[in-house]
Amino acid sequence: MSKTRTIRTDYLARVEGEGGMLVRMRGDEVLDVRLKIYEPPRFFEAFLRGRQFTEAPDITARICGICPVAYQMSSCLAMESLAGVEVGGQLRALRRLLYCGEWIESHTLHIFMLHAPDFLGVPSAVELAKIDPALVETALRLKKIGNEVMRVVGGREVHPINVRVGGWYKAPSRADLERMVPDLEWAKDASREAVRVVAGLDFPELEQDYEFVALDADGEYPIDRGGRIISNRGLDFPISEFYDHIVEEHVEHSNALHARLRERGAYLVGPMARYALHRGLLSPDALAAADEVGLEPVVLNPFRSIIVRAVELVHACDEALRLIAEYEEPSSPSIDVVPQAGWGHGASEAPRGTLYHRYRLDEAGTILDAKIVPPTSQNQKMIEEDLFAFVSGHADLGEDELRLRCEQAIRNYDPCISCATHFLTLDVERE
Amino acid sequence: MPVPGAGMTVCVVGVGNALRGDDAVGLEVARLLDGTLPLGVRLVECEGEPVSLLSSWEDCDTAIVVDATESGQEPGTVRRLAAHDGPLPPELQRASTHLLGVAEAVELARALGRLPGRTIVYGIEGGTFDTGAPLSEAVQAAAAEVAASIRRELSEGPG
Repeated sequence: MSKTRTIRTDYLARVEGEGGMLVRMRGDEVLDVRLKIYEPPRFFEAFLRGRQFTEAPDITARICGICPVAYQMSSCLAMESLAGVEVGGQLRALRRLLYCGEWIESHTLHIFMLHAPDFLGVPSAVELAKIDPALVETALRLKKIGNEVMRVVGGREVHPINVRVGGWYKAPSRADLERMVPDLEWAKDASREAVRVVAGLDFPELEQDYEFVALDADGEYPIDRGGRIISNRGLDFPISEFYDHIVEEHVEHSNALHARLRERGAYLVGPMARYALHRGLLSPDALAAADEVGLEPVVLNPFRSIIVRAVELVHACDEALRLIAEYEEPSSPSIDVVPQAGWGHGASEAPRGTLYHRYRLDEAGTILDAKIVPPTSQNQKMIEEDLFAFVSGHADLGEDELRLRCEQAIRNYDPCISCATHFLTLDVERE
Repeated sequence: MPVPGAGMTVCVVGVGNALRGDDAVGLEVARLLDGTLPLGVRLVECEGEPVSLLSSWEDCDTAIVVDATESGQEPGTVRRLAAHDGPLPPELQRASTHLLGVAEAVELARALGRLPGRTIVYGIEGGTFDTGAPLSEAVQAAAAEVAASIRRELSEGPG
């Protein structure tokens, strides 16, 4: 009779937030896989009630220190949709630019400091610095540039203070933005080199038949906004119909709600989804970087997400340079937004994937109800399915190796567990 | 930029979280020092990622970092460590699950050759880290003590 095996990792390192993992096996058969999110619930949806609609961007930004802009943008869009106004032109360009800054710093942090160590066989960025200091120096400089964009446009690197419903408190001058161009040009070159470097890594074998879900942004690679949600299996609906297609449920082992598609089950949001659905909309140089390393048009091996993230880094640098080149200082930093009673919906593409906000306001603009669906929350089921498939295919691996690869598999999703809990100990129980 | 004697470029960084009780002590030391240090000393409050320490002390040959510790000692206990001599003791490595910690930032700097030749870390043992709590008495006293030490050290030169 085969024995039960349990592999346990108490705190998953190199992810944002606190979670654990359990894998239960009998012989070579995987019985159960659970991504246990025990980061305490954040209760943002509760304490937003009674606040003014204007406070949503600042409050929700506190959900995350790595991706505050995503929250600010999704919440602004939701409020503006209710008021029937659209922040366009240069005000919108600035939003996209701010968001590019966030993609740059977040993707950089993940690729180099959180994920690359797995591929290079080192436990952390510190050991990585010992074997490849130039790589870490590049990462630190790239991250600093992303943070600088956020500081110049958003007013502060973490939890930008310049964002408001309707636009901005202050618009930067052309000179402010142009000062960042030399750094962004360096960043673009560094990103292209990063694509080459990560494409050369060794990738564990795993392929899944994913349903990729992302925003559709009307002819643009989706970053700061999108009116519809689409998938590679025919989903196509306005964001206001989010809950007609997606169900959130509480599972016992996670403080983050699990999401699934009503008709089908687990799905994937994030860079792999955006790339699969909108590859042709990448900047020419980002596309060229992908082609140069032979990145397949649809990536089905989740370990190769690191390459996709690097390609998106190139794109973000390119977009930032384009937006700066085309920038004209607006006559006013914001437009008026008059609250209406009703339901407002907003969605944007956080570095980790689609972030959806829904608010109900009264006629005075007071928030009566709030729903926030972060990308990592949506990816939980898929993470578990990936683990199940990976362990099934690699059951013969030694305990330590298996644990490392499982953790690496979770990090494929760049999970932001703090966001997901409005984390990781790996328990593999072998029967 | 003018320097405080003998060609030293000095950076003093108070690291902490203003919202978590005694975790704010590094920031408090920086505030106590504000305006009282020799001209040319770079004084920084670091509430964000300790990785930014590497930028803060760039081009400095001396860095003094102050942070709270959580290592089971009496609250208010002060430890002064020469980080340039070797890794900080493991019990002082207070990484959170959300950020690299100071100790890791120091090791990262060391690996990259970006650790100032003289890097002093003051650890002040915290008592409580409750959200919204003020500094506890022992920790407030220790903050004043550490600020005085730093002031003395920088006006008299290294002891």
